[in-house]
Amino acid sequence: MLSRIGESLYWMTRNLERVDGTARILDINVVYMLEADEDATEEMQWQPLLNIVGADEIYPIRYPDKRVTVQRVIHLLTQGRDNPGSLYNSLRLARENARVVRDRISNAMWEAINEFWLSADKHLKTTLQPWRAAEFYAFVHREVATFFGIAQSTMMRGEAYGFTVLGSLQERADMTARILDVRYHLLLPDVSMVGSPLDYYQWGALLKSLSGFESYRREYHGGIRPIEVVEFVVLNPDFPRSLTYCLEGMERAVKRIGYVEQGAVPQALEALRGHLTGVTATDILDRGLHEYLDRFLELLADLTTALQSDYFEAHLGDEA
Amino acid sequence: MLRQFQSSGAVQAQANGAGPAMAYHEFYGDNFRPRDHYLPMWEHIQTTGQQMLGTKAHEAHLALHTEGVTFTVYANEDEGIERVWPFDILPRIITAPEWTMLEAGLKQRIRALNLFLKDLYHGQRILKDGVVPPELIYRGKDFRREIMDIDPPHDIYTHISGVDLIRDEEGRYLVLEDNLRTPSGVSYMIENRMVERRILPEFFARYKVRRVEHYPALLLQALRFLAPRGPDNATIVLLTPGIFNSAYFEHTFLAKEMGVELAEGRDLVCKNDKVYLKTTHGLRRVDVIYRRVDDDFLDPLVFRSDSALGVAGVIDAWRAGNVALVNAPGSGIADDKAVYAYVPEIIRYYLGESPILQNVPTYQMTDHQDRAYVLDNMERMVIKAVAESGGYGMLMGPSSTASQRAEFAKKIADNPRNYIAQPVVQLSRHICYLDGELESRHLDLRPFIIYGDGIQVVPGGLTRVALTKGSLVVNSSQGGGSKDTWVLAD
Repeated sequence: MLSRIGESLYWMTRNLERVDGTARILDINVVYMLEADEDATEEMQWQPLLNIVGADEIYPIRYPDKRVTVQRVIHLLTQGRDNPGSLYNSLRLARENARVVRDRISNAMWEAINEFWLSADKHLKTTLQPWRAAEFYAFVHREVATFFGIAQSTMMRGEAYGFTVLGSLQERADMTARILDVRYHLLLPDVSMVGSPLDYYQWGALLKSLSGFESYRREYHGGIRPIEVVEFVVLNPDFPRSLTYCLEGMERAVKRIGYVEQGAVPQALEALRGHLTGVTATDILDRGLHEYLDRFLELLADLTTALQSDYFEAHLGDEA
Repeated sequence: MLRQFQSSGAVQAQANGAGPAMAYHEFYGDNFRPRDHYLPMWEHIQTTGQQMLGTKAHEAHLALHTEGVTFTVYANEDEGIERVWPFDILPRIITAPEWTMLEAGLKQRIRALNLFLKDLYHGQRILKDGVVPPELIYRGKDFRREIMDIDPPHDIYTHISGVDLIRDEEGRYLVLEDNLRTPSGVSYMIENRMVERRILPEFFARYKVRRVEHYPALLLQALRFLAPRGPDNATIVLLTPGIFNSAYFEHTFLAKEMGVELAEGRDLVCKNDKVYLKTTHGLRRVDVIYRRVDDDFLDPLVFRSDSALGVAGVIDAWRAGNVALVNAPGSGIADDKAVYAYVPEIIRYYLGESPILQNVPTYQMTDHQDRAYVLDNMERMVIKAVAESGGYGMLMGPSSTASQRAEFAKKIADNPRNYIAQPVVQLSRHICYLDGELESRHLDLRPFIIYGDGIQVVPGGLTRVALTKGSLVVNSSQGGGSKDTWVLAD
C-alpha cells in the first residue's frame, strides 16, 4: 500500500474517533449541567473540558477576558474554526482523508462520512445553542457509529483495515487517559480518600464520558470506588475503552499491517505493553496516577513517531 | 366565464421546443411528434403523469449529493468549489443503426490518428509528402521533440480517447474535437447510468439498453496488455494531480473500479530508469502508469521543471521500455484544433479510406483568405485557441460583445497559429426536465474509445447538456449538465 494512503487511512479514523470523543465529553457535561450542584460554578464545570482536549492554551487567545462559559466552551470545542482540535475541524479532516483514500474504502463508508460531513457542516453554519447541543451530539454519535459499523462489515481484514483500527484505537486510548487524568484529580484532590464511595454523579459522569457506566456497574457491585475506576479504565482487558483493551487492539492491527524490518514500531508497542503489564491499580495510585498516565501518553506519542518512520515516510532503500 | 388552462406537459414542451428552427431536435420529429425510439418512454410519462418526474429528479439529486459525485469549478486562481454533478433524468437515446455507423467512424479515426502520431515522432512521411504542412506541427505547442524516435508499446499513443460529437441542422453527426490527452467524463457516464437505473427502472423495462459499466474492466485489460513485463501481476497506477484537481472524483472512481493504486507524483520515484511506488513496505516496481497529469507536468527533467505534480525521470524510464505511459506523451499534437482540420486527409493518407465521420468546417488563421473572412464574420463564428480545452480560451461569436471580438482579433493577429474558427453549428437539442417543466436544450456526445489489444468503443458516452437556455456551451465548468446516454441493442 502507498505510504500516503496508509497515513490517510490512519488519520481518517483517528480524526473520526476524536469527533466522537469530543462529542461525548461535551454531551455528558451538557447533561450534568442541567442539575448542577449548587456550589459548582460554571467555570468549575467547563474548565476541565478545555484541559482534556488540550484547548486550554487557545482559549485565552480566543477569549482574552478568560471567562469560561458554557456557550463559549461548546462553541470553541464544537465549531471553533480557529481551534484545530474542534469537532468541526476533526470531522473536516476525517472527510478530507476519506476523500484521499476514497478508492481504498467501500462506497458505503465514503457515503456515510460524506453525508455526515454535509449535514454537520450545514448544522454548524449557525451557532449551536446549549439546549440544542445534546440533540446534535446524539446525531454525531449515530453517524460515527454508522461509519465504524459499515467499516466493520465491508472492509477486508488486511493492511488498510489495520491502519483504520490503529488510528481509532490510538485516539481512543489517548482520550481515555486524558479524561481519567483530568477528572480524577478534580474529583479527588486528597489521596487519603481513595477507596471510599464518593460523589456518585461526578464519578458517574467520568464513566459515562467513556461509555462505561453500565459496564462498570455490572463488574463492580460496591458503589463507585476510585481505585476500582482506575482498575476498570486502565487495566480491564474487556472494557472497549480501557487502555489495555486499546493496546491489544493496536497490537493486532500492527500484525495485520506487517512489521517493517528493523522498524521502530515493535519497540514502541513493547514499551506500552511493559507500562500496562504487571501493575495493579494500587501500584498505579502509589506511584501517582497523573505521572503514570502522563508517561502513558508519552509512550503513545512515541508510537506515532514510530509509525511515521516505519510506514508513512518514503523508504528510498531497496525494492521490496 | 371560467377560463380553462391546458396543463399537459407535452403542450408546454412543444411551446418551449419551437425556438430557432435551425437546430435538429433529437426528441421531436415532424409536427412535434416524438421520434419513434422515444415513444415508449413518452407513453410512460403520459401514463404516470409529469409530476412523477419531479420526484425522480429530486431523488437523483439526493443520490448524487450523498455519493459525492462532484466536480470542481475554479472561481478564481487558487480556490475551487465542489459542485454536485448536474444530471437531467430524461435519457438521450441512440438507435442501433446510428451507433453502428458511429462506432465504425470512431474506430477509423482513432486508428488513423495513432498511425499519424507514430509517423510524426518517427519518419514524418506525411509532412514530407506535403499532406500536412510541417510548420503546423513544428509550431504546435503539443508537439514534443523530446520524444522523437521513442517506440511506445505496440505503437499505441492514444489508449483512451474521448471524441466530441455534435449533430448539425440535418441531424448528421460531426466530430467537433478529438480529445486524445487525458479525456475525462467516463466516470460520469457510468454514474449517470447507475443513478438512472435506480431512479427510473420503469424506463429501462421498455427498452433494450446496452451496458456501459464494463468500461473500467476494458480499460484494465488494455492497461495490462501494455505492461512491459507481461500482463500477469503487472503493477498499474493511476497518476492524479491530487484532490484539488477538477476530475479527482473520476480518478478515485476509476482506480477503485479497476483495483489499481491511485498515486500522486510524490508517491513515485525513479531509479535506474525504472519507476517505483513508495509503499508501507518499501519500493514496488511500476509497470503501467495511467496518467491524468498533462504532458507539461509529467516529468520536470524533460518538460516543465517547476512541476511538482510529476515524476522526475519517468520519460527516461519510458524511453528505456521499463514502463508504459497512458496516453503517450506527445499525443496532444493530434488533437490540436488546427491539426484537426486535416484529420479527413490523415484518414485517407494512412488508411486509403474515405472518412465515415465528417468534421465541422474549420478556418485556419494562418491562411490569409480564411483569416480575412473570419475577421469580417466574427459574430457568426466560434473562435478557439488550438491547445485549450474545457471551453476555456474560446469566443462564441453570436453572444460576444464588440470589445471581446476586438480582443480576439488582436490575439489572432499576434499569434495566428494559436487560433482556428468554425461557423456556429446549432447543436442538436433534446428535452430536459428543468424546474418542473420540459424544456429543450442543446447537447453533444462524448463516446470513449479504448485502444489496447484492438480498438473498442463502449456503447454509450457522456451526453453533455447546455442547461442555460439557448446556450451552446456544454462544459460542466460553464453551466453544463448531463444525461444518461442509451444505445439500443436493436
